[in-house]
Amino acid sequence: MTLRLELRAAPEVPVEADCITPDRLRQLPIAEIERLPVFYGNRQVPLAEVFTVSGAPGETIQLRGDMSRVKHIGATMSCGQIHIDGHAGAHLGAEMLGGTIVVSGNAGDWVGPEMRGGRIVIRGSAGHLAGSAYRGAAVGMTGGEIIIHGAARNEAGHGMRGGLIAIGGSCGDFAGVNMLAGTVTIFGAAGIRTGAGMKRGTIIAMQPLEVLPTFAYACEYRPSFLPLYLLHLRRLGLPVTDGQLSASYRRWCGDAVELNRGEILSPSI
Amino acid sequence: MSENLRVVENATCTFCGCVCDDMILTVDDTQKRIVKAKNACVLGRAWFAEHTIEEAPAALMEGKPATIDAAVAEAARILVEARFPIAYGLSDTTCEAQRQAVAIMDMVRGNIDTTTSVCHGPSGIAFQGVGESTMTLGEVKNRADLVIYWGGNPAESHPRHFGRYAVTAKGMFTPNGKKDRTVVVIDVRRTPSVPAANIFVQLKPGKDFELLWALRVRVKGRPIHADIEEITGVPPATIEDLVQRMKGCRYGVLFFGMGLTMTRGRHFNSGALLALATDLNEFTHFVAKPVRGHGNVTGADNVMSWQTGYPFGVNFSRGYPRFNPGEFTTVDTLARGDADAAMIIASDPASNFPREATAHLRRIPVISLDPKATLTSGLARVAFRTATYGINTGGTVYRMDDVPITMRKAFDSPFPDDESILKAIREKVRELLLARTPHGARSAFELPLTA
Repeated sequence: MTLRLELRAAPEVPVEADCITPDRLRQLPIAEIERLPVFYGNRQVPLAEVFTVSGAPGETIQLRGDMSRVKHIGATMSCGQIHIDGHAGAHLGAEMLGGTIVVSGNAGDWVGPEMRGGRIVIRGSAGHLAGSAYRGAAVGMTGGEIIIHGAARNEAGHGMRGGLIAIGGSCGDFAGVNMLAGTVTIFGAAGIRTGAGMKRGTIIAMQPLEVLPTFAYACEYRPSFLPLYLLHLRRLGLPVTDGQLSASYRRWCGDAVELNRGEILSPSI
Repeated sequence: MSENLRVVENATCTFCGCVCDDMILTVDDTQKRIVKAKNACVLGRAWFAEHTIEEAPAALMEGKPATIDAAVAEAARILVEARFPIAYGLSDTTCEAQRQAVAIMDMVRGNIDTTTSVCHGPSGIAFQGVGESTMTLGEVKNRADLVIYWGGNPAESHPRHFGRYAVTAKGMFTPNGKKDRTVVVIDVRRTPSVPAANIFVQLKPGKDFELLWALRVRVKGRPIHADIEEITGVPPATIEDLVQRMKGCRYGVLFFGMGLTMTRGRHFNSGALLALATDLNEFTHFVAKPVRGHGNVTGADNVMSWQTGYPFGVNFSRGYPRFNPGEFTTVDTLARGDADAAMIIASDPASNFPREATAHLRRIPVISLDPKATLTSGLARVAFRTATYGINTGGTVYRMDDVPITMRKAFDSPFPDDESILKAIREKVRELLLARTPHGARSAFELPLTA
């Protein structure tokens, strides 16, 4: 049971389609789905004006087209699956509770902000603020998984309080800034000021990184939880090497300006 | 020189965020210009001296002279037909005009943003995230015994900041002016502000955050685990000295400039400084304040916050205000190509925005309101020439410390002010929207409610 939505043409202004969630669409007849309102810029238009609708409503929604201007897809969803064949716009899976979103291309800024559960997989790269708190909020993502195979930009996991973010490529500055708990794993090069202001939580940086002067080097050890996490990420297709599984890790704790209970782990080479 | 001279006392200079309100202007009413500006600084003197009334049409459409009514009608049509109209600028006009602009964008469900987003916008984000320990400049004058300038050069950008408020000014508890104060300048280079300081701390470019973080951790009495001199270029002894002075002063101030907000790290740099001020309040009274540039950019923040709840980067496309810098800030809405019409008020983004953003500005219909011909008014479909605020119009402006100041005009201009043009556009927009609202719909933007 797959519902197929295909973008008619690349929109000229941003479209906000927060009605596209399996929760909302799975029990509606096609005719009613076509009439659901989406915002095309500042105008409400029926969904059918932006997308062609086909297939059968069910647990899975298949979207096709360059949706880099379509925002809020899968926002607050709690079940089912969304497959995006193309790029996705900003606020993908915002505040989502459960279910799965898979994007074959790139995603915009704010992937899974303040998400509570579920999984978002981006095969390409993501923009700024993946899994972050919205401006003015102290708490970002509290559960679920964001798996980015490509690169991520600044402030991934800003204010994160739970869950897992894995970035296959490089990431920008301030990854895990103001983190309260949770795990951020970065396989590529990390930008500067990783973990600034973190209270608790774990940041695993596979490449050598610049650690802030307020982080204290603690020790070198083999954390027992790490192979479990890494094997899980390998099953999800991230580039985990055997060396990373067996390596011992250097641990820094910080941030001393805050609670000082966070940790940055990096394999010793 | 003409005989027709007149003196205007207690006039206001709106060139920079100091908004000095003690100007004594000598106006030549025949030549329509200001011949003398007593009390003004070098920037203020130039601001008043260079102001002339040029011979030009009050409105242009597609570069051709038009009546104001026709131009207002065309501007309203552009805004009502757009699906993602943006308004930008606003920092060099009165609060009364800013208020009209917010009303228009609320009605057309547009996006409104001010020049704050390209100067102290990151501080706006930081205020929301960290909080602000604030004051007025009068307090600084009367009480501050430790004044720190971080990433700013007021000697050149705000020449009267030292004399009127923060360095040599004599106040209730600082009767000897500079002798009662310690002045610190922290910057990446030796600026003309440095001679005014007792202590100059030179740090490596782009290491503000690291130095602020090191200061914070030392203020909390915890150790620094790295070679801080290697990282920031500032020796540990200097950091210790600063920490002792900050903890030991009676009233400390951190003034910060765009050296902090517009370098890598942006809102986290401002946030680190605000957090340092907050931390220091455990030991003494400490405040922090951005040194704002444009005459009424602080007013723009205040009017926007008062009317929408947010200081800049506000979007109304869903019918209610939403704040999201990065999504609704003007450089982003233009560079991504989201906007399909723009109204630029008292600003010239075409001359200072990144290339992708100005390229998009050339593709969409633009409405401009400006006292002078600019690159932006040159590419605008509808360009209004308006009276200069503070010289040809009265109204309200906010000083950089959020103190409102009422202006008096020096002489009349043949051009209308921003407020009256925007009011006319607002009225026209209201008419057009009423005519467009379908039967049974709540507004011109929503689908009719079907049973």
